[in-house]
Amino acid sequence: MSVKSVAQAVIVEPKSEPVVRRRIGRGLVYAILITYSVLVFVPFLWTISTSFKTLPESLLLTFIPQNPTAQGYITAWTQLKPVLPVMFFNSALVAALATVTNVFFGALGGYAFARLRFPGREALFLLVLGTLMIPDQLRLVPVYQILVNLQLISPGPQNYVGIWIITAISATSLFIMRQFFLTIPFDLEESARIDGAGFFTAFWRILFPLARPALATVAILTFQGTWNGFFWPLVILQAQNHWTLQLGLSQFRFQYSTNWPPLMAMVVVATVPIVLLYLFFQRYFVGGLSSGAVKG
Amino acid sequence: MFGIRRGSLGTERAQEALAGYSFIAIPLILFLIFNIGSLFYSAYISLWRWGILGPTEFLGPRNYEFILRDDIFHIAIKNSIYYTIVVVPIQMALGLLLAVVVNQIWRGRAFFRAAFYFPAIASSAAITVLYIYIMSPDGLFNHVLQLVGVNAAGLPNGGDWLGHQKTAMNSIIALNAWTTSGTMMLFYLGQLQSIPSDVYEAARVDGSGTWTAFWRITFPLLRPAHYLVATTSVIGALQMFDQAIIAGGTDGNPNYALMTIVLYLYNATIKQYEFGYAASVGIVLFAIIFAATLIQRRLFGSADWASAR
Repeated sequence: MSVKSVAQAVIVEPKSEPVVRRRIGRGLVYAILITYSVLVFVPFLWTISTSFKTLPESLLLTFIPQNPTAQGYITAWTQLKPVLPVMFFNSALVAALATVTNVFFGALGGYAFARLRFPGREALFLLVLGTLMIPDQLRLVPVYQILVNLQLISPGPQNYVGIWIITAISATSLFIMRQFFLTIPFDLEESARIDGAGFFTAFWRILFPLARPALATVAILTFQGTWNGFFWPLVILQAQNHWTLQLGLSQFRFQYSTNWPPLMAMVVVATVPIVLLYLFFQRYFVGGLSSGAVKG
Repeated sequence: MFGIRRGSLGTERAQEALAGYSFIAIPLILFLIFNIGSLFYSAYISLWRWGILGPTEFLGPRNYEFILRDDIFHIAIKNSIYYTIVVVPIQMALGLLLAVVVNQIWRGRAFFRAAFYFPAIASSAAITVLYIYIMSPDGLFNHVLQLVGVNAAGLPNGGDWLGHQKTAMNSIIALNAWTTSGTMMLFYLGQLQSIPSDVYEAARVDGSGTWTAFWRITFPLLRPAHYLVATTSVIGALQMFDQAIIAGGTDGNPNYALMTIVLYLYNATIKQYEFGYAASVGIVLFAIIFAATLIQRRLFGSADWASAR
């Protein structure tokens, strides 16, 4: 026996038992991964399946619809009040307004907090972060009273302005943008400034276009948050034809109580845009969450 | 010469400060009115009898006496605290389990991470409505129970999980453990990946098993993540609202089983227009959340939670 093989034998001998244990560990890891994946996806697949079923079949355990029908979608598309396309448009409007302002004011404010020197900057930034500590629903009474005073609560399209004011800018957007602008070399806009450009021009021409990844994160997180938003639309949107998809869902759930196919069709329509965003821009969801939520 | 330069530098500085203030002005005004200001406004409103037309009578602290004497408020407090105490440990344990498991593999890690976060991206309304369907008497959950030999119709709740007083809140707990576990997993995963691997090497040399190494080394090292996950989920849990009103309506049916503090606050504001009363409920909720956060600070030490990544 050579020295080498002795050494190998010594090393291999105590290892053999942990190898078995590690195999079991591997097996357990994959068992958990697969079980939980099933738990995650089956409810969604079940929802899609039901949206193509007839009402009687929606009560049975069939994964593939026996007589697939688009009736659920047709009902949701034509018979709800307001109809699905209207709610879809309303949701898109609420989300788009918030996204535009969060991107613009988030970038502009983030630029100021990161790169411009002015007295009280750090204190003001802490103040901004402090707003994350005040939970949304605690503000219900004062915000509602302020919106009443501004005449934004009475039924009408001005309700959208009410939602917009509340969702126009979030501390998270400012935070994400500030962190991004801190990573860019500081002499970048100096040259533009020497050429006589003002601070806004330097921001708009040079830094804003550079910030595309951070802007995408802010846009996607804001869009997702407001598209999914339920509390403020419930409080503020008065007229039925101004309802968003999420608000409509919560109301039709009582109206249609057990007419599952159209309800599930609505769930699908309300979720698909976010799922598409997630499929294409997954890294922004995850990245934004860990930078914004952890440090905020 | 120097004088002029200092002068131009001065105006330059002033211009920069002016630009800075004007660039943050709109967000700051909105925050001052709708966040920070509204907290103080809320405290002020809570001292009045205050309806849709504004204040009518100064009550001092009497609104707080009224809510403490209201039976429904007691139910709301009890439900919210029960919900929080049960759901938070489940969310933490599930999030940690998923993070550890996902961290064990190389191939497919990105897939499972994305998959487990998936329920968190859908809206609470969509998730709750699909859950109501799954947990209904003829729903998928009861079909699955049937497959393993349990006849749901014979259970004390008749298989109506969200419609029965005894099982409604626990069903919502299961739902929200499911939707938030992916978020908690991401928090833990970030922290797990920051633990240097030589820490584990050292443990292996010591002869510690995987299990021992986890409890002795990994678990304590995750303290910043524990703190972050615990505070996030406690604050979220104390504010549970969407699922309660969508599944149980404004009364939190059945029989107030889903009445939560925020649902109570919502009713007092939007249904009864008792703004003064509702504001005092909000202040009580704020006090509870504040106290809970302080307790957790004690529990997990003043960990440097900003480094939790």
